[in-house]
Amino acid sequence: MSFPEVIEQSNQVLQALVDAGERVLGYIYPHPPHEIFIAHGLKPSLVRTNPTVVGAYEASLQTFSCSLTRNLFSQRTSSSFPLLAGIVFSGNTCDALQNVGDVWRKRFPEDKVLRLTYPVGDAGESSIDFLAMEIKSLSDDLETLYGVPFSESAFKQAAQLLHEIRDVLQLLYSVRLLYPPLISYHTLSNLVGEYLTAPTEDVSERLKGRWMEVAEKLDTNQTNKVDQLRESLLNKDLSGFDSTIESTSLRIAVIGGMIEPSTFSGLVDDIHGITDSTLVFDMLSFGFKTVFTPPVNIDGDPYKESARSILGAHSEPTQEGLPKRVEFLKDVIARLSIQGLIVCEQSFCDPDEFESPSLEKAAEEVGVPTVKLPLDSELSDRARIEGRIQTFLETIDAN
Amino acid sequence: MSDEKPYRKLETQALLQQIAFRHGMEAMAASEEGNLAWVSSGFPVEIPVAMNVFPSYPEQAGAIIGATKIGPEVCGFAEDLGYSQELWSYARASIGSTDRPDDVAMGALPKPQALLGCNNICGTILKWYDANSEQTGAPVFLLDTPPLEDEQKPHHRAYVKQGLMRLIDFLTKTFNTTLEEDRFREVSDLSSRAIKLWTQSLKACQNKPSPLNCADRFLTMAPVVSSRGMEHCTEFYEVLLMEVKDRVKQGVGAIREEKIRLLWDNIPPWFILKFFNKLASRGVVFPADTYTHAWSGAVEGTDTSSLLDGIVDIYSNVYLNKNLDAKIDKMVQLIKDFDLDGFVMFSVRSCKRYSLGQLVSKEIVTERTGVPGVVIEGDMVDSRLFNEAQIQTRVDALLEMFV
Repeated sequence: MSFPEVIEQSNQVLQALVDAGERVLGYIYPHPPHEIFIAHGLKPSLVRTNPTVVGAYEASLQTFSCSLTRNLFSQRTSSSFPLLAGIVFSGNTCDALQNVGDVWRKRFPEDKVLRLTYPVGDAGESSIDFLAMEIKSLSDDLETLYGVPFSESAFKQAAQLLHEIRDVLQLLYSVRLLYPPLISYHTLSNLVGEYLTAPTEDVSERLKGRWMEVAEKLDTNQTNKVDQLRESLLNKDLSGFDSTIESTSLRIAVIGGMIEPSTFSGLVDDIHGITDSTLVFDMLSFGFKTVFTPPVNIDGDPYKESARSILGAHSEPTQEGLPKRVEFLKDVIARLSIQGLIVCEQSFCDPDEFESPSLEKAAEEVGVPTVKLPLDSELSDRARIEGRIQTFLETIDAN
Repeated sequence: MSDEKPYRKLETQALLQQIAFRHGMEAMAASEEGNLAWVSSGFPVEIPVAMNVFPSYPEQAGAIIGATKIGPEVCGFAEDLGYSQELWSYARASIGSTDRPDDVAMGALPKPQALLGCNNICGTILKWYDANSEQTGAPVFLLDTPPLEDEQKPHHRAYVKQGLMRLIDFLTKTFNTTLEEDRFREVSDLSSRAIKLWTQSLKACQNKPSPLNCADRFLTMAPVVSSRGMEHCTEFYEVLLMEVKDRVKQGVGAIREEKIRLLWDNIPPWFILKFFNKLASRGVVFPADTYTHAWSGAVEGTDTSSLLDGIVDIYSNVYLNKNLDAKIDKMVQLIKDFDLDGFVMFSVRSCKRYSLGQLVSKEIVTERTGVPGVVIEGDMVDSRLFNEAQIQTRVDALLEMFV
C-alpha cells in the first residue's frame, strides 16, 4: 500500500467511525493518553500528513515551520482535514508544535483545540505527578467540551484494549527482528498504522488473528526467544537478551522522528536491493516507540497511571535522555545484528536534526554504516531519497 | 553635508568592554579551577552564582560571533559535523566554536564542568546542550519550565520548584559546594537591583526623544544576561541609568532627529546592527523592543524557600514561555506605553519559539493598536540567511506609510 493509499484508508476508517456516530479526537504527538480519551467516549486517532496537499499555509506560518506542521495547516486551510471532533496539540515537546497550536486557535477559532503539556525532564515521580495533573486538566476540558464525564469502567476497558493491541504489536516487532521471513515489514507497518488510525476492538481482533498465524510457525524455543526479546525491548535493556541472531541477508534498521512506519515502508518497497527481509526494525516515534509503551495499571489513579505509562515508553528526542538513547541504539545494533542504519531527519524539525549527528556517531562507533535522509512530509524529493537508500545498500553489500 | 552621525553613542558603552574582558578572564580562571558552567540566558543564575559556580553564556558568545561577522564560517564548522543549516544559529555557532576553538577569533568559551539549561526560552536549548555535552564531556542539567497556557497552576509551580531542588543537589554534587542562605539572599538582591535599574532605563525610553535606540539596548543588556547577581553588574546599570536620566533631562535623544517611533520584535541581526543606525538617518528610532524587555521582575524572599518561590515565579513567566495571546498583549502594551507609530517583526529563521506566530500576531496587533507593522525574515548570526536588499524594500514600504 502506498503512502497516499494509507491516508485514503485511514480517512475511510475515520469516516466510517463518524458515520457510526463516534466522535474522533485527533492527536499529533505520538504519546497521547489513549485510555483517557476513550474514557470520555472519544476515539483517538493520529492526525497524519497528507502528501497530496501542499502549500496552503503561507499566510499563517513561515517556511521554516517544520514540514509536519506546515502540512497539517495546509490540510486544514484547504478543507481536506479529516473529520475530527477536536485536535490535541502537545505542549513542551517542540517549539513548532507549541507555537502552531496557538496559531491554529487564532486561524480556526471554530475548531476545538486542546493542549496536553508534557514534562521534558527525566525527573522520576516529579515528572509523573506533573503529567498526571496535565492529563487530569485535559480530562476536565474533554468533559466540558463534549459533555461526557470520565468513565472508570470505560477507562479500564480501554486500558485492556490498548494493552492487547500493543502486546501483539510488540510480539510482532520481536518476530520481525528474529525471524523476518515470518512477517514482512510492510505488513507490520500497516498493522501499526491501523492502531494509530483508531485503536478499536476490530483492530485488536485482526491483530490477534495475525499473531495466531505467525505464532503457529514458531516452535517453543523460538516463542521463548520472542518473549525474551519483547521483554528486553520493553524494559529498554537488552543485556539479558543473549541469543545470537544468524542471518544470511542484510539487516537494516531505521531511526528518526515524525515519520510513520507505513510511510517509510511505502518509500522503500520499490527500491532495488531491498528484499522482504532487509528492513528488520524501526525505532521511529510513530512505530517502535509508540508500540513499546508499558500498559496502564488499572488499579491505581487513572491519571497518574496514564502518565506513568506514557513516560515509561522509550524517550523521544524532545525529552531528556540522549545518552541513554545513544547507548540503547548501540545495544540494538550490536545485539540484534543490525548491519546498516538509516537516520530520518524531518525538514526543519529541531529535535530530529539535532539528534541525528549523535545517532550517526553512535552507529559509527560500533562499526555500522549509516545514511541520513532529510525528508519532508510530502516526500517531495522521493527520487533522490530512494537513490540515497539504494546507494547505501549497495555500499554495504559491496563490503 | 554634515559629518555628524545620525545617532549618539552612549558613554557608558565604554564600560562594556571592561566588563566583557573581566568576565572572560574570570571564566577562564573558573574553568581552570573546575567551577565553570555554561548557562542559558533564561536560567536562574542566582543559584549557581550563590554556590560559587561561575556562569558563561553560549548565547552571548553566539551574539559576539554574529557581531564579528564570522557567523557563517563558525556555523559551518557545526554543519561539517552533520548539524543541519536549518538549526538554531546560536547553537550551530556554539557547536562549531567548541569543535574548533582555535579557529574562532572571538566567541569560543573556556571548557565547562557543567551545562545548565532552562527551556523557558525555547525547547531547543536541551538539544543544543546535549550536543555540547557530547563535545565537552560536561553533564547537562535541564531546568524544565513547561510553557504556560495561562496563569501558572499550583502543580506547575511545584514541578519547577522540584526542579530547583534537583538543581541545588546537582550543583552540590558536581562542584562540591553548598547553598548558603545569606549568600543566596545577597546574590538575589544584587540580581534584583540590576534588573530594576535596567528596567528603569528601558522605561525612560517612553520619553520623547527616546534616550536609547535598539542597538544601545542590545549592547547594554549584556551584563544583565552575563553578570546578574554580581556587584559590578549593578554598578554598570547605575552608571547607565545616570546617563539615560541625564539625556532625558536635557532632551537629548538616542538619534539626532526623532521622527518615527517603532517597536522591534525579536533578537537582532547581530552582524548588521548598523541597520538601526541607517534607519536613524531617516529619523527612525526604536524606543522599545520585546527582546530586552524580557528581563523584568525581581527575585524577592526572606529565606531559601521563599527565594526559590520567587525564582519559580520569575523564570516560569518569561516572555517566551507564554502563549501567543500574552505575546500579543505585550506588544500592544509596549506600543501604547511608548507611543509608537508602528512595528518591525524580525522573523528569525533559526528561532522558532520567538518567530512562529508572528504572521498572525502582526494582524492582531495592528487591529488592536491601529498602527502598521512589517515582517522581515533573516537570521541573528548566520548572514547567509539575510537578504539585506529584500529587507530594506519591506522596511521602506512600512516607512512610506508614515510620510
